[in-house]
Amino acid sequence: MLKTFADRNPNAFILPLFFLALVFGLGCDSRYYDERMQMEVQQLDSDLENRWSTSGVVVLAMTPNGPADKADVEVGELISYIIAEYPIQNAGDFNSAMKKAIDEDNNLVLYIKDKPPFRIAIRRLGDKIGLKVEGGSTVRVKEIQPGTPAANLDIEVGDIVEKVVDERKIHSLGDYKKTLGEFSKQQVTFRTSELIGVKIASVTALGELGDTRAVEPLMDIFTNSSELSLRKAAVSSLERLVELSALNELFQQFQAANVDELPADSLQAQQLESAAILGLLTVDLAENTATLKAPFGTQFRHRAAALHQKINEGQLVTLAQRYIQRAVEPEQEIRRACLSMLGILRPASAIDALVVVLKNPGELPGIRFQAGLALSQIGDPAVDALIAAFEGADTSTKDIAVSALGGIGGTKARNLLINALESAEEPAIQLTLVDALAKIGDAPALEALERQRTRFQEDDTGIRIFLAEVFKNLASEPR
Amino acid sequence: MRNCAISSLRSFCLALGLAVFIVACGTQNENLSKGKELIKSDKRRKEERAVREFKLAIQQQPDIAEAHYLLGFYDSQEFYEPGTPEWEKAAIAERGNHMFRAYQTEQRKYLETLIFETLRDDEPDVQNAALVALQQVYRKGDRSRLLSQLEKAMKSKDNRDRHDAHWVLGHLGKEDPGTLVPILVKLLDHGRMETRLNAVKALGEVGSEQAIPSLAALIDSGSAKWKRDREKPEVRQLAVEALGKIGGAAVPELVKIVQNKGSSLRVDAIRALSSLGDEKAVVPLLDALKAQSSREVVIPFAN
Repeated sequence: MLKTFADRNPNAFILPLFFLALVFGLGCDSRYYDERMQMEVQQLDSDLENRWSTSGVVVLAMTPNGPADKADVEVGELISYIIAEYPIQNAGDFNSAMKKAIDEDNNLVLYIKDKPPFRIAIRRLGDKIGLKVEGGSTVRVKEIQPGTPAANLDIEVGDIVEKVVDERKIHSLGDYKKTLGEFSKQQVTFRTSELIGVKIASVTALGELGDTRAVEPLMDIFTNSSELSLRKAAVSSLERLVELSALNELFQQFQAANVDELPADSLQAQQLESAAILGLLTVDLAENTATLKAPFGTQFRHRAAALHQKINEGQLVTLAQRYIQRAVEPEQEIRRACLSMLGILRPASAIDALVVVLKNPGELPGIRFQAGLALSQIGDPAVDALIAAFEGADTSTKDIAVSALGGIGGTKARNLLINALESAEEPAIQLTLVDALAKIGDAPALEALERQRTRFQEDDTGIRIFLAEVFKNLASEPR
Repeated sequence: MRNCAISSLRSFCLALGLAVFIVACGTQNENLSKGKELIKSDKRRKEERAVREFKLAIQQQPDIAEAHYLLGFYDSQEFYEPGTPEWEKAAIAERGNHMFRAYQTEQRKYLETLIFETLRDDEPDVQNAALVALQQVYRKGDRSRLLSQLEKAMKSKDNRDRHDAHWVLGHLGKEDPGTLVPILVKLLDHGRMETRLNAVKALGEVGSEQAIPSLAALIDSGSAKWKRDREKPEVRQLAVEALGKIGGAAVPELVKIVQNKGSSLRVDAIRALSSLGDEKAVVPLLDALKAQSSREVVIPFAN
């Protein structure tokens, strides 16, 4: 049975053998040492294939002083393209270059004299570019076939073709071997790539680790990267570093005592709370303990001082101040993060820039409010600027300035708010003013609120209900 | 004739069964039966009342296995005034001790019950009590039988068995990594992917540096020559997480993964490093940032 089958169809055995050879020859070894480059490369992790548009081979090792080593290829690099150039000196060169370059899923770049390079993507085998050329030492375009890729490009008859570049995408070790084989008589260029996902993860991790050395590289990415997702990650890591640095005082208490646990009531409540939110320590009120979490919290107490110093050197403030402007930074998430950093760092130098954001009618309300919040965090030094912003401003600016002033308090702010409340007509502003004065809550503020209660006694508007609510809350709060 | 023999045999068996049943009923402690009845009933505060019965049963017969087991199972600190001796006795560790007492009297039966039933209870307190009991078995009881039962559970088709067993093995491993790590490492070769998955998780919970080489090899298998040698991505991903839990000497392994651009687990390794908070991670992460997104290297034609 077997024999007759083989007799009838001799190819039946050869074909599987051929496939077996193919599998052995191309697909299966996970490593390959290339004599010409004197470099060993490795296949990608199988589950990485076709993910995150990753493809290529990884450099494992190089022979010292071999061609790859001399060219400064680095171990660990991912080679995702192999590129070869075909100089065009006559029409024959062009035709043979085309023949080689026309391959499935391949890019070729056409260099025409005095024109930018044309990148042509070939999707299927047999696609034609649609160019015919002629000439000896200078090769010129003779004909452009309509309906082909060439017809859609800015190429004219008579243009001089200088060179053709063939960019081969490397999907597997097999591709790598095959392509280098085809380019065996040419100079080749490797194009390597780095996954953006890895960078984003690194940026995020550096924010988590709270190390001083990360500050400058993160600022660099934030200002110079062209990848929005990476910039967003960098700015939120910087924000975390700023938050961490603000806890320096707390951590110095642990450091001074050289312990990882202190009585909770010996520490400042607000700092304790933010440290707990950031996951640095746990607070047990019943036991009255604040315990640094291992390993991060315990390690961080040694790093806190250095980070605090680095963050407060001033560069970060300058940077944040610049990127809160909508004209500079179109991405609202980044503007918001910069505002939040300024709120924590509280530089008086940022007051003017913050007021500009607060007053900007073209800015998003949430961002303007965040600018007001940052000003109120800066506190007393910002009062005059906020009062100036309040005078003669539109309702929404007034609203934000009022709540910022309420957050700061003090005689000056309080007196302005009282005067404003007594002359205010717009209900929206009235509510914010009441709220701000209630927050300040000193005797003159409460007297002013009392007068309002009498004023609106008969009224059936929201303000009366709101005032009643405010007084109820004030009564229940221990003072 | 033959028929007759069979029927007499059958009646004999029946009689024997009945006799055994009656004897068993007779020896069963009255309080124990009452307690069990209560549990089955829908009476108010039935557990609290049943627990009282189990305690009485133990007073009369200190070795009564079932009462010990049920007391360990149903007792709860919620029944008592905090600070009282009763309350103290209802702590998880004490409940575990009662379960262990049951095991001491009837080893085979209660070992299986603890592993395949008690651990499966929805109540975390019950699970924890069972864990305490099994830890006692490990220290004072038939260790090899315990381990073989846990291995059996790890290889089970039922996800709950595997999950419970990995949890116990992880805890036992913290006490005695020298014995447990090799057992778990051996399970990394098991044919069932879920078993390997749970073995990896348990190794992470054990947190012993002894497991690093095996986990590293498993992670590296992603670029193995043959498909059958490559571990599944989800298992490899968990192995990276496990390295993160081990920390210490595992940090360089994680750094190696970050540096290998052919690895699909770089992001996982970075996450593990960041949750560890280890300073050693900073420089490799900064290097990852420095790497250009894309560059071209010209290799001149060698003459």
